[in-house]
Amino acid sequence: MAKPTFTESIGVVAPTSTELSTGARVIKFVADRGIIAFTVILIVYAAIFVNGFASLPNISDVFYRAAPIGIVALGMTFVVISANYLDLSVVAQVATSAVIFIGVSNQAGLAPAILLALLVAVIYGVVNGVAVGFFHANAVIVTLATTFVGLGVLRWLSGGSIFFGPNGGVIQSLGQAKVGPIPLSAIVLIVMAVILGFVLQKTTFGFSIRSYGSNKAATRLAGVRTGQLVVGAFLITSISAMVAGFVLAAFSNTAVSSMAEGYDFQALAAIIIGGTSVFGGKGSVYRTLLGVVFVSVLTNILVLVGLTFGAQQVAIGVLIVVAVSIDAIARKLVKN
Amino acid sequence: MSNVRTTERTTAVGRARTVLARRTEGRAVALLVVVAIVAAVFEPVVFSSFPVVLGRLALIGLVALGLTALILLGELDLSVASTLALSGVVMASVPNLGLGIIAALITGIVVGLINAFFVVVVGINSFIATLGMLFALRGAAFVISAEKPVPLENIDAGIAFGSSLLGPLTPRVLLFFVIFAVLQILLSRTRIGREFYAVGGNRQAAIDVGIPVRRRLVLGFVISGVVAATAGIINTLELTAADPTAGSTVLLASFAAAIIGGVVLTGGRGTIVGTLLGALALSILQVVLTLSGVQVDIQDIFIGSILLVAIISDPSSLRTAWVRLRAAITRSRTRDTARGLTGNAADQ
Amino acid sequence: MRVSRITMGALSIAAASTILLSACSSSGTAGNNSADNGKKSYDVYALLPQGTDQPYGTTYLPPMKAEAAKDNIKLTITNSKYNADQQASECDVAVAAKPDLIVLWPAVGDTVRPCLAKAKAAGIPVTVTNSGVNKADVSLTKGFSGPDTYGQGVASAEIMCDITAGKDVGILVVNGLTGNSTATTRHDGFADTIAKKCPNVKILAEQPGNWNKDDSKIAVSEMLTSVGASKVQGIYAADDTMVAGAIDALKARGIDPAPLFITSIGNTKLGNPLVVSGELDGTVFQSSSWDGQHAIDLAYSVLTGGTVKDQFMPSVKVTKANATDPSVAPEW
Repeated sequence: MAKPTFTESIGVVAPTSTELSTGARVIKFVADRGIIAFTVILIVYAAIFVNGFASLPNISDVFYRAAPIGIVALGMTFVVISANYLDLSVVAQVATSAVIFIGVSNQAGLAPAILLALLVAVIYGVVNGVAVGFFHANAVIVTLATTFVGLGVLRWLSGGSIFFGPNGGVIQSLGQAKVGPIPLSAIVLIVMAVILGFVLQKTTFGFSIRSYGSNKAATRLAGVRTGQLVVGAFLITSISAMVAGFVLAAFSNTAVSSMAEGYDFQALAAIIIGGTSVFGGKGSVYRTLLGVVFVSVLTNILVLVGLTFGAQQVAIGVLIVVAVSIDAIARKLVKN
Repeated sequence: MSNVRTTERTTAVGRARTVLARRTEGRAVALLVVVAIVAAVFEPVVFSSFPVVLGRLALIGLVALGLTALILLGELDLSVASTLALSGVVMASVPNLGLGIIAALITGIVVGLINAFFVVVVGINSFIATLGMLFALRGAAFVISAEKPVPLENIDAGIAFGSSLLGPLTPRVLLFFVIFAVLQILLSRTRIGREFYAVGGNRQAAIDVGIPVRRRLVLGFVISGVVAATAGIINTLELTAADPTAGSTVLLASFAAAIIGGVVLTGGRGTIVGTLLGALALSILQVVLTLSGVQVDIQDIFIGSILLVAIISDPSSLRTAWVRLRAAITRSRTRDTARGLTGNAADQ
Repeated sequence: MRVSRITMGALSIAAASTILLSACSSSGTAGNNSADNGKKSYDVYALLPQGTDQPYGTTYLPPMKAEAAKDNIKLTITNSKYNADQQASECDVAVAAKPDLIVLWPAVGDTVRPCLAKAKAAGIPVTVTNSGVNKADVSLTKGFSGPDTYGQGVASAEIMCDITAGKDVGILVVNGLTGNSTATTRHDGFADTIAKKCPNVKILAEQPGNWNKDDSKIAVSEMLTSVGASKVQGIYAADDTMVAGAIDALKARGIDPAPLFITSIGNTKLGNPLVVSGELDGTVFQSSSWDGQHAIDLAYSVLTGGTVKDQFMPSVKVTKANATDPSVAPEW
């Protein structure tokens, strides 16, 4: 059993208890709505007080900010829910996928590039998943190790150069495609959220992941193949990271091995702000999407008002802690 | 059956076996031996330059020591690297060296108290609270330093600090071993130390037997913060300037040292000695690779592979893998039964 | 159990130190100043803060290695990834290995004094490449080769001053990675020169672009929103990759970048075509191959006792007039 902190214990409710008491339902309501309320307040505030926030080009920018990191976060939600902390290797995965997407498609066309990227993603997912799921190794170190190996191999093979797609090529036009103010990348984000949300909420696999996250031993005793479950969680993460690599590469029509730096902890921040518990079991893809929107809107506002990078980081860090604190305090109050 | 035979044969061997089974440092010792042998064969220079290894050990191991104490309580601190950078910047921004060091230590204590406040009083998870602090403190370091390195007023003091006291013993190495000794005694010889293990092993039981869990948690966060701040002070002195981007690899290196040393992230299991051995293995590995002159990409591939092998070759990991593999094979033979069970689980 | 814990620790330490000692005695036999094809061979440590993890480092390394092979220099290259304490530790390793010379590319200029002092105490000469050291530390080094990073910012600003020709112009500034010394130095060179030579150019907003095209593209688009796209008549970005992102951001809004005043630094394969097409008004050539080659060139002069002079990469301004000239052919 994962170890809850004082108040976290109330979060470790069995994921699909169909009959909730009234009190529990209220707690659930508040816990679910906390981040929505924050996001709405933030957007309304910005629309009134921040010049240019509500303009069409800026809405596109928020989506551009949200898409690649959001796609990574959606996938990584599965690893977090399975109580395996995080997948540090997403940084290497996104960069590798982006470099393959542009580098290989320049040489051999789009289809071989996508196939190769998929193969690499499967390798990442299987290696991480088998080490964590079957060998019961710590996910932080396993994914740290695969990051070292992955980036090493990428730089060794690609030589570390910057790759760019031809002007007017397919990749560039994919990156520029829009429906109204909504870029294609944001549509990919939403489609991924719908698919992954379905997988997590409606399938046996999704159920098993959540129950495994909240109680590993019981899930194993119930006869679920927990090793395969963990491999599944890491595979979903690596496939998402691959898609994020495509989106990021298409957005700038360039790829380089130093891309996506910081995506590991930024994605984790979005997942946690959304309200997914790092002790596993509790959380959803849709919460992560909200977390991503919150962080993207916040960063956008901070740039619009002209804060320096350092001040932006302070504001983001403080807001993470404040948002989660208010959530925790509200739950405590409701509980009493 | 083998157990019986062992105890009958020699009590000494039997006792050694039970002791070994209870130890958590096995992985670190194994890695250390492998790395040392590889080094002895390929790059023996590393041993004649062991002051360098000690310096590297003190660099990547110091923060890990403080972190270990906190992890034993079952809590995590992701803000250590940012604390290191912030305390360095605070120190260098104060013109007087002595006052600067005091200010940096206070920074470490305050960061520890803030983390503890959110975890103990507000009741949010330490992973989340310190993730927020990871961003906020790094940002604060940038704001205070105006995004540039802050040079020390007294550069000569820094140079003097970096030079050797006696043989391989620089102040950094000395401080490292002092902090190691203090934490080792605290955790293995005192009542507080036993309570740390109890809180990390089973928090509810610790509360039930009347251990002041909250006070222990606060102490754990303060230890982690102060040790990180000390690392910031040492870095700033040795480098003669505080860099707001400092410590970018500290967080993950510290976790790696602790986990390789057998410290369990959920708390209650592990030792400071384990972390020391884990950090020592990593330092020798890094120094050997640097000396080898192998292309840096290949070095990274090598480090990653060693980490991966080390983490999955733990006896308990291998046992788990074997059990699961066997279970997977048995289950595929009786697939129908397994499916029935999974179905049951879904109905619960 | 407590006794056994100590025994256990003592045992493992004893085991490690046994290996340590046995290895100690076997070392020290490796002397490799052997004459090879008539030329003396040298051991040189190159302490770099980047390598194949950055495109610049990627194209810096091959000419460096080629030059070293030519001069019979055995290179040991490290990459501290701009981590100052890592580089300090690598410097300790290098000093302990007693090479004939150390080539240092400071990760953070303010932090290299102790490294230089240790090398001097060990009698190992140090040459500096790419990024200079502080004035007070120059006496501890044998020489410098590389670009004039501050001068690049100045040159880019001079292009800006020329093309704006006294008109009142508002510009956006995209900086490199926050806290990175090249980013800071280029920014200072640009901002100081603008303030001194053409105060008609006003910086409306600035954000980091992290040396990335994608980060720069979003940052510029957001700055356009915050100050009002119509007020922006120019952009300066600290490198070509980021200026390409800035130009993309303009195009995405339907703004033609050609009439705007846009300058940057680099003259890379991404930036050079933009100068040719007229979208980028000017950039400053930084040749990674010149940089890598001259690092060894200078080191070799020091090793062989030849004349040693600081070698500054000329900050060649690349505008439409000379962009297709073979002497400024982009390298990465």
